[in-house]
Amino acid sequence: MNSTVNDHIPDHVPADLVVSYDYHGDPRLTNEVHASLQVLHDEAPPVFYTPRNGGHWVVTRFDEIKKVVEDYEVFSAKEMQIPRIENPPYFIPLNVDPPNNIPYRQALMPAFSPKAIKALEAKIRQWAGEIIDNALAKGDGFDFIQEVASVYPVSIFMELMGMPMDRLWEFRNLSDEFFSTNDQQKIHQLSGQIIMAMTEILEQKKAAPADDLMSHILNIKVKGEPISLEEMQNMCFLLFLGGMDTVANVTGYSFRQLANMPELQQRLHDNPADIAKFTDEAIRMFGVISNPRIVAKDAEVFGVKFKKDDMVLCLLPISGRDDRKNGNPHVFDIDRSKEDGHTLTFSSGPHMCLGSFLARSEIRILVEEWFKRVARYEIVPGTELGYRTGFSLALTELPLNTVKS
Amino acid sequence: MVKIVFESHDGSERTELELSPGGSVMEAAAANNIDGILADCGGSMVCGTCHAFVSPEWFEKLPEQSEMESALLEYVPDPQPNARLCCQLEVSDAIDGITFTLPESQR
Repeated sequence: MNSTVNDHIPDHVPADLVVSYDYHGDPRLTNEVHASLQVLHDEAPPVFYTPRNGGHWVVTRFDEIKKVVEDYEVFSAKEMQIPRIENPPYFIPLNVDPPNNIPYRQALMPAFSPKAIKALEAKIRQWAGEIIDNALAKGDGFDFIQEVASVYPVSIFMELMGMPMDRLWEFRNLSDEFFSTNDQQKIHQLSGQIIMAMTEILEQKKAAPADDLMSHILNIKVKGEPISLEEMQNMCFLLFLGGMDTVANVTGYSFRQLANMPELQQRLHDNPADIAKFTDEAIRMFGVISNPRIVAKDAEVFGVKFKKDDMVLCLLPISGRDDRKNGNPHVFDIDRSKEDGHTLTFSSGPHMCLGSFLARSEIRILVEEWFKRVARYEIVPGTELGYRTGFSLALTELPLNTVKS
Repeated sequence: MVKIVFESHDGSERTELELSPGGSVMEAAAANNIDGILADCGGSMVCGTCHAFVSPEWFEKLPEQSEMESALLEYVPDPQPNARLCCQLEVSDAIDGITFTLPESQR
């Protein structure tokens, strides 16, 4: 899919920091995506340069990633496509560096804050219950990704935004395609489609405002002034991609992990209070989003010379698996101490995931509702699971057999 | 040295830290693995997960909150008038002897 992009190593990159890694389909990767990706911790320096996809830096370890995502003066979030493209998509507030991102973030915070998510819990639970019931009704061998993981967070998100539910699969497919490509033409075409759909809905909300996020976005003021249609579009574009793809993917990987741990299933079934710990551990082990940055000015960081306009990719999905940060990082252990439970799945710094509180609650509640209905489950034996790589990792199928409780 | 106490929500656990001045209270809590301080955003003031409560007397003495800090403190799970973000407070002699009571949950 990116055969037209030439390999490139700029002059300022020393040979000992060059390691080949193709984030859009590296030969190291298997459907155990995280486990196969974490070999980079041993095979490559914590900050290295890959010639693939036009050439870019890759950051694999916790402390280094944290520094990059927090230091916006050197590592700007203003551009995120690797390789760089003409007129890249512009997301608000993600591509806006501090302090200008703050007013937008503050405008969205009321909808995504811990307080707001706590108030939403009953509604989230209702969606979880209904969607699990529908999936279980299909009988053994149903695809958990298709029937549950893809539908559940997306339904909650669409309701929160005020999007028409009958467009769920249209939107889900658009986001899937967006995350599957790094082709300039394709990115522009999909961005256009998504923005057009968001604009259509924004216009409907303008005519008939409702108690939802898209109606709220129409009324956002920054420094006392209403925001432009373009700003609204770029906010909705970001929310769309964040809401359509991320929790769905973390959930898929988490349920696959749990499928292979019958004793843990029994424990969560018998002790629902432990599910919050399961959620934390699943988030540590199965992050899906990688953070791209662009170097804003020449700088030496970690003893590495970065040049203005270099692209940098932070592999958040393996940040929690860094053995310099966490003890026994490759073991899934819901009883691990806070000291060994560090992760940057939601990133850090001024662009830390706005939806993290919602995401955590969604996963916890889904597992709680699951074990009210299911005593134990397994992956249909002999299945070869498909996956997708890129900025957002995904498992594309997970057929399950269940035993009801 | 600056003495800072972190107390769990129900008062059952107390951790006393003796710190050299400098850095934020959040950084000191993170470095000492204080359980109830999460600090998800690393001090960028976008998450609210390092908030804690102080007594009215200490609240009066602390430097004033920025608009952004007070906005964030409205959106924590259980907002209280005497809450502060630990990332916004500097470890200094001015807060020697302060007690931070941790919230029941940060998120």
